[in-house]
Amino acid sequence: MISKDELEYLAQISKINLSEDEAKKFPQQLDKTIKYIDILEELASDDSNVLDLQEMKFDELRDDVVRMSGALRITKNLTEDGFLRGPKMK
Amino acid sequence: MSLVMIGLEIHAQITVLETKLFCSCRGNYRDLRPNTNICETCCGLPGTLPIINKKAIEYSTMTSIALGCKVPDKIMFYRKNYFYPDLPKNFQITQYNVYGFSSIGVEGSFELDDSKKIRISRIQLEEDPGRINYLEGDMNVRNSALIDYNRAGVALIEIVTEPDFTNPKEVRLFLNKLSLTLEHLGVCNTLMEGSVRCDVNVSMKGGNKVEIKNINSFKEVEKAINYEITRQTSMYNRNIKIESETRHWDDKKKITYKSRSKEEEHDYRYFPEPDIPIIVLGHNFVSNLKVHMPELPSQRFDRFVSKYKLSEHISDILINDKKLADFFESTLKIYFSPVEIANFLITEFKSMIEYDSDSTDYLRNMKVKPEHIAELVKMIEGNKISRITAKDILVKIFESGLLPSEIVNNTNSFKIADEKILMDAVESVFDTEKSAVEDAKTNHETINFLLGKVMKFTNGRADPKITMRLINNKLKKPNA
Amino acid sequence: MSGLHNLLAHEVVEGIKEGLFTAEEYVSTVIKTIEDVESKLNSFITLDTERALSSAKLIDRKIKENEDIGYLGGVAVGIKDNISTKDIRTTCASKMLEDYVPSYDATVIRNLKQNGAIILGKLNLDEFGMGSTTEYSRYHPTHNPWNLDYVPGGSSGGCGAAVAAGECTVSLGSDTGGSIRCPASFCSVVGLKPTYGRVSRYGLISYANSLEQIGPICRSVKDIVLIMNIISGKDNSDNTSMSSSQITINNKLDKFDIAIVKELINGGDHGVTGTIYSTSDKFKEIGCTCDEISIKNLHYALPSYYTLASAEASSNLARYDNIRYGFHLPIEEYKWDTYFSNVRKNFGEEVKRRILIGSYVLSSGYYSKYYLKARSLRSLLKLELLKLFKKYDLLIGPTMPILPFKFGEKIDDPIKMYLVDINTVIANLAGIPAISLPVGFSNGLPIGLQMMAAPFEEQKLIDVSYALEKTINIQRRPSLT
Repeated sequence: MISKDELEYLAQISKINLSEDEAKKFPQQLDKTIKYIDILEELASDDSNVLDLQEMKFDELRDDVVRMSGALRITKNLTEDGFLRGPKMK
Repeated sequence: MSLVMIGLEIHAQITVLETKLFCSCRGNYRDLRPNTNICETCCGLPGTLPIINKKAIEYSTMTSIALGCKVPDKIMFYRKNYFYPDLPKNFQITQYNVYGFSSIGVEGSFELDDSKKIRISRIQLEEDPGRINYLEGDMNVRNSALIDYNRAGVALIEIVTEPDFTNPKEVRLFLNKLSLTLEHLGVCNTLMEGSVRCDVNVSMKGGNKVEIKNINSFKEVEKAINYEITRQTSMYNRNIKIESETRHWDDKKKITYKSRSKEEEHDYRYFPEPDIPIIVLGHNFVSNLKVHMPELPSQRFDRFVSKYKLSEHISDILINDKKLADFFESTLKIYFSPVEIANFLITEFKSMIEYDSDSTDYLRNMKVKPEHIAELVKMIEGNKISRITAKDILVKIFESGLLPSEIVNNTNSFKIADEKILMDAVESVFDTEKSAVEDAKTNHETINFLLGKVMKFTNGRADPKITMRLINNKLKKPNA
Repeated sequence: MSGLHNLLAHEVVEGIKEGLFTAEEYVSTVIKTIEDVESKLNSFITLDTERALSSAKLIDRKIKENEDIGYLGGVAVGIKDNISTKDIRTTCASKMLEDYVPSYDATVIRNLKQNGAIILGKLNLDEFGMGSTTEYSRYHPTHNPWNLDYVPGGSSGGCGAAVAAGECTVSLGSDTGGSIRCPASFCSVVGLKPTYGRVSRYGLISYANSLEQIGPICRSVKDIVLIMNIISGKDNSDNTSMSSSQITINNKLDKFDIAIVKELINGGDHGVTGTIYSTSDKFKEIGCTCDEISIKNLHYALPSYYTLASAEASSNLARYDNIRYGFHLPIEEYKWDTYFSNVRKNFGEEVKRRILIGSYVLSSGYYSKYYLKARSLRSLLKLELLKLFKKYDLLIGPTMPILPFKFGEKIDDPIKMYLVDINTVIANLAGIPAISLPVGFSNGLPIGLQMMAAPFEEQKLIDVSYALEKTINIQRRPSLT
């Protein structure tokens, strides 16, 4: 069973607060899911096996040319000087 | 206190790029109004995808080559997951060396001097986050972090060394040489504000490693290390255990303080970036780059010594000032006299340049150009003017930008070779310096004194060789 | 004119071009249908009908002036609400994006617009694409037009329902583990998940970016082809996209070798199994062979899918912190980490579960145990399938192992819900194309046939589907009064 501490840790690194209801039923639900995926242990794995990833050639990459569409304007929480206000750091 | 081990983690922006690493916003974000150098991609808006900059890969590979690293045939990118307001996606796209392909450079080495090499652990390509400011202001402003995403997504090269440094001076030497190398490659202009950051880790007597972050210029690195060594030494002497921790450098108070943020506790959950395919560089990528990439300082040094027959000492001085070395070679194209020109530049010219740390163009903005120096040296070698005159002319060129020949015509600065005129000057000096004249008959050194007086009398224009002959002849005469 | 909303897309374009009706008449009929049935179905999150009508009038003006109206001229399209549409609110059915209005169009949207398509609105989905019934939408659930007490499938439930009911003529959905094919099957319409990389993902709001693709949900195979040819292609804004050839409608079918995958058909609902077997008899009618084969590694597919999808989701959804966009919540009085956690409590349950699982499988200590193993299964599975595709042109089975079920039946047990995807995740893991074709009913509830082909072999899927569609005689429209 996923312990309360483990669940708290996961919630902390994922930056998600759980409601009381969720905190109650998640340990069992998550546990079930983890047990479900445990079957993967039967597979032999090869760390460098990245067959499923695509490849692209160096020549196909983007050229270093400025293109500013100017379409994006952040409008949320802007100060007069144009900074975006975020929650305080200290 | 022996056995100090110091390692470096340097972040250098690829300032030569026009655009950011994963989008086409401007790469140079300085002096722009906040949040104007942004687009949907670098702000991590939903549905956007990273599109990698080809030139960034070229320049980071060149850096790897210059630092003696192995470059893989294929490269991958990874996500480093953590939450912070300056990180628009709350993950950073970077490279990783634990699974899969290596980063753009691994296992390199950099020669510090003839006896020591510094091992380079790895070089990786990654994106810069935005900037957070804290300002004074009204309640609303003071209670918030002020975020500017103009810098978010700019290309960074991270260079990590093994802890091979044993004292701060070695670190300073390394950073100077590294800056020079980066300058030669054209990758990073280390004089630009914020273009380089350096984290340091220090451990003493095999104890725990202390990491120091937030050092924002190469100049501060030596100070930070010195402070930290002092701090650790004093703790050791008082039998206090040194914890493995992260500290921040405060460049106002000049101290390191324990970091209050939990940066070191992160589990970054690295995994391969699904939006960027594996990039195949190919077998010939590195060899092709080696042929076309800019000359490295060590290569240029060898060339100056072997091709131009300059002394190692002179070559060293030139190499360490790239713009001067460039100026030197431009001058050579006009008038090929390497030893003379090199000497002139180092003795007379160098001291007159105003080094402006802000301007990268301090040589380009001067009125003195290679043509001026070429002509000047040619005139010296052709015995048309003396060295002293040349110095005066140089001052005038700095002010006016006129060619030496123009200045000389205006001020009549050519060497006086006319023996009659010279003889008058000599006689004049002999009249006023009677005691010296007596002395000179037996003491050869006083002859130089007399020569000097003649030069002064003629405003430096007297031909020294002819003058010397005349003085000697006159001294030999019985009634002198 | 009535009945215009039941036309197929290619019939709409032809009709407008030939002057049988105007774009405005047709779009008005579709809008009227929405007005009639939307309260029962709740397919849409956001409607943009005013702008749709103006666009229709523009099309009519172009017709008058003999200008080209494009391959989709006048056709009313519904867009799943996880695809970026400029100036139209895009929520991903989440509270986290309640106020988010994109400043740019997804590439597929640009392609549609360039071809004269008219965007009606944004269709409902499970929050961020995570789910199989649309019950996880944070706005409202969508109802199956064939029986309002039943789920329409997911996560593109809004697309399935709207297309089946005539609320739009065609729609664009997305498929990460079956999210196009499941609602297509449950709503008795056609849905295609393209080969990974065939359609640009620029503008698709990521859930699991190595698994998902945008694709069409329509009422006929011909319409699927029409849409695919417009939205496919290599895009400079998406480095994972690749170029492909146009798909054609062929009236003559080559002899294909088809195989039923045992694991997909065994253990399913009897009604489903029976229908699939009788459909497979038709293959002989149209000149194809039909074997039965086994896929060795299939039982690892679903665990592998959930591991990878959750891992990617936990990272893709990290950006939702309400700082740059999102919804209204004042930042004063909060420190940054408590602000983030507090803001993100607004995700729905299922999204939270997947993010937590994702963080778990990626955390140091577990990375090799789950994530790397799941990646290696992907390679194994792909290899096995490619080998099979050397022998067979198509691999088939039921799209869903079960019939549509009632609301609330599976919502309390996540694993029960995940098992719904068991037939569809294979195609996402291997990156191969897969189509769901409506083939029959059981107890009045729709059944879909899934066909899969090798990468970039959509043409084979279309050839067989088109031929099969002609032979299948089933009710095409739900009766909604």
